[in-house]
Amino acid sequence: MSGHSKEFPITWGMVIDIDKCTGCGACMASCQTENNIEPQPEASNKLRSTSWMLVYELTNDKAFPDHDIAFLPRPCQQCGNPPCVSVCPVVATDKNEDGGIVSQVYPRCIGCRYCVAACPYHVRYFGWYDPVWPEGMEKTLSPLTSVRPRGVVEKCSFCHHRWNLAKDAARASGKNPDNLDDGAYVTACVQNCPSGALSFGDLKNPKHKVHELIKNPNAFRLLQRLGTNTQVYYISRREWVRKLGDNYLKSE
Amino acid sequence: MGLDRRAFLGLVAGGAVGTMFTPIPWKLLDDVSIWTQNWSWIPRVPKGQIDYVTTTSKLCPAGEGLKIMRVAGNPISAAGNPDHPLSRGGVSALARSEVYMLYSPARVKSPMKKSGKGFEPITWEQAMLEMADKLGAAKGAVACVSGDGTGTVNELLSAFVGKLGAAGYFMMPSEAATAAKAVKLMGGKGQAGYDFENADTVLVLGADIFETWGTSTRNRKAFGDSRPVGQKPKSDYIYVGPTRNNTAAVCDQWIPAATADLGVVALGIAWHLLRAGATSAAPGFDTFKAVVNGGFGPEDVKRATGIAPEVLAGVAKALASAKAPLVVTGSPCGQGLGAAPVIAGMSLNLLLGRVNKPGGVYALPELATVVPGAMTREAMLAGDLPAFLKGVADGKTPAPKALLVYDANPAYGLPETATMAKALEKIPYKVSFSSFLDETAAMCDLVLPNSLTLERYDDLATPYGSGFCVYSLTVPYQKPVHDTRTTGDVILTLARKMSVDLKFDNFLQVLKEKVATLAKASGGFVAKDVMPWQVAAGKPAPALAGGDLWKALTSGYAWTMVGQVQATLGFAPEVLAKAIKAGKAPEKAVVLAPYAQLRTGTPTTGIPCQDLTTVPDTELIGESTFVRLNSATAKALGVKKGATVKLTAGGASCEAKVHIFESVMTGVVSAPLGFGHSAFDVFSKGKGANYLSLLSVVEEPGTGLSTWAAADVKIA
Ligand code: SF4
Repeated sequence: MSGHSKEFPITWGMVIDIDKCTGCGACMASCQTENNIEPQPEASNKLRSTSWMLVYELTNDKAFPDHDIAFLPRPCQQCGNPPCVSVCPVVATDKNEDGGIVSQVYPRCIGCRYCVAACPYHVRYFGWYDPVWPEGMEKTLSPLTSVRPRGVVEKCSFCHHRWNLAKDAARASGKNPDNLDDGAYVTACVQNCPSGALSFGDLKNPKHKVHELIKNPNAFRLLQRLGTNTQVYYISRREWVRKLGDNYLKSE
Repeated sequence: MGLDRRAFLGLVAGGAVGTMFTPIPWKLLDDVSIWTQNWSWIPRVPKGQIDYVTTTSKLCPAGEGLKIMRVAGNPISAAGNPDHPLSRGGVSALARSEVYMLYSPARVKSPMKKSGKGFEPITWEQAMLEMADKLGAAKGAVACVSGDGTGTVNELLSAFVGKLGAAGYFMMPSEAATAAKAVKLMGGKGQAGYDFENADTVLVLGADIFETWGTSTRNRKAFGDSRPVGQKPKSDYIYVGPTRNNTAAVCDQWIPAATADLGVVALGIAWHLLRAGATSAAPGFDTFKAVVNGGFGPEDVKRATGIAPEVLAGVAKALASAKAPLVVTGSPCGQGLGAAPVIAGMSLNLLLGRVNKPGGVYALPELATVVPGAMTREAMLAGDLPAFLKGVADGKTPAPKALLVYDANPAYGLPETATMAKALEKIPYKVSFSSFLDETAAMCDLVLPNSLTLERYDDLATPYGSGFCVYSLTVPYQKPVHDTRTTGDVILTLARKMSVDLKFDNFLQVLKEKVATLAKASGGFVAKDVMPWQVAAGKPAPALAGGDLWKALTSGYAWTMVGQVQATLGFAPEVLAKAIKAGKAPEKAVVLAPYAQLRTGTPTTGIPCQDLTTVPDTELIGESTFVRLNSATAKALGVKKGATVKLTAGGASCEAKVHIFESVMTGVVSAPLGFGHSAFDVFSKGKGANYLSLLSVVEEPGTGLSTWAAADVKIA
């Protein structure tokens, strides 16, 4: 199915080293403020809260002392074949821009939530309520991301605004905005992760680290069998972690 | 002219067709969709020029340098400062909160005076007058509790309290205090510093080095560097502790061991090293050898800890064959561990010859004090706050007449919480300088809110855990949001009012003097192109360029120094013999092993509102926190997944839900700290239980130190 994916000369992608992630949540906290997601008093309830980046805990399902755990940070996987795009009746979400980032146009979204149901990675969140910030805290909103009203669906954009900033900076310094240096554009989670578990770059650019990393024998993608052809890759030396990345049957 | 039916229909049809060709309905539809989402009550994002400034986090104990994004001059968000050696671009969830916490609903908005059960706002002038009066009357019996382990403000506070007649100066319990005690008992000097950057095999005994222990962001950067993505790791990390916590989750090996057995494990490893011929010229070696050989052989250790002899033999081999092994000891919950396990862990560093070596442990010198009459950090860390307050509660120690509380929340953040609260109640006059209305502030007579990190000048000197001396500045980038003041300035004003001479007029002067002193210290340099761990590894230290250190520090760079104090560390075998015993594992007891994480803040911050998102639903749901136990323990106790249970220990009890988690060793219940606040705001208050209240303070034999990192607990 991956043959159906649209190809883009620049393809932004993330490589997440699961073996380095301590599950600290700094990436999630970075994302919340970077993208103007309101503080939620019941935020530990993952069924009722919005977090574009969510760290899952994986286990090998064995009992003590053979048990093992791993943490899996989950941004939008930016599928090559996004199941959310084909179901959107108003083209509020699309994959048509260079970079391969799946867009989400809030003013166009009618809140039908088909995409929420279609996304196999649970990256899409519906705003049931208007966002509210504690008094005064709205002064710390980022000017780079809009504030969404209730009734629309939102998701990780790979901090798309940072790409624009990086291109502007490249233009200002006389560089080619379509051939950014490795690291010139990274998302907020990647920037702040203290463990260096997250890498980001243009998967097609041989000068970017991620270009090589995705060829690593320990690299895998989530639910690859669905043919979503995602732009987020994971790396783990542990076989059980790699196996959890897809729906394997017990016999496989 | 009449309009017949035919003409009318024609007009309607024509009109309908016509509208298809005008853009008006489409434009209107588009506008409707835009305007129905453009609700006036949805906040607007700020507009203006974006720029970046730098400072140092004071909320996060890891002490990261920060890069603050501003819009039109207003701080918007905090990220790690790539130029700062304690951050290198990384930031904890807590340090990330530095900007939005300015607007935390829990902030104290002006000076407040107790009035009945609540508070009433007063002016700073009234507050100063009252305080001068009350502290004057309390002369000779004024105590102070500080939770700031790195600030020069401690010099002002200790000098002030000292001149009034101190009943004691106490730091909130920390890993730093435990390590300081251990170093002292070993005959050493200085602050233990751990050079993770140059280490290749790291044995971690209990310490949650990637969460709560020391300079955790820097520790993680060093760890990350030694693990290039997609390549074979260049380091080996082994964790020993009761749970596979966030640190152990990324280590190469987890060896389950109870917190109480960490010292036994260390000496068990020493046995293997000694057998393989390890020797040391450090004082006390022969006695140490006798102690280890006499009671910590593989079978003794197995009986006490359940750890198979070959496991520890493997660890010893890994350490002995490494180029740069390092042993780090600490408490799995960031507090309450005894000094003896730290001595035992340090003795491994001695046996391996890792003291004052690249990739090993350094005895870091303390930076010189500048306030006359100030206590040294070493002296401050010698106070034992839980023991003191327990004495006050029991009536064995006279209660101070007045207590100043700076950046600390002893009513929440100490073990035996009920006893500590009782002691605090006995102190007739209490003043809190807390920025947030925490549990202790709520008990105080006066709350004089300190300005937050981005609103004040402050500093950070060598946080515990750092492998090198480091100093950086906190610079204000906005006017205080509320009617708050920098506590350093408040103390100086008050001192003047009370005719106490502290030499300085304002806190900025104090910091400038501190920096001027550093500029004169030999060996110091600004970490820019060369980082301190590179100097430790042999690169020449750059000169302190140009002398304008203040400018460099206010631009976000850090002053650093690599070096050590000259003092000989010995084995302190007498202490080990008294404090560490490889007894038989107690049958059937269930042990409570708490864990802490930066995302739930510190006792002084509460849970930062955006960090609540990072808390998993296996830790907190609604008003219930979960404790973790493995299925074998759950079965033995007859409790099921999701059940609500009551944990009882030390005369206190807490509720919890059960989360079955197999990465907790059998017989251990692991409980998250940082919850169960009765103060702060909707993001902290009433969320779960404070399991610190279950931990009893026990005096460690041989050292006299208060300990409480674990407790036997009943679950029903
Ligand atoms: S910040 Fe890094 S280490 Fe922490 S949870 Fe996110 S990816 Fe993992």
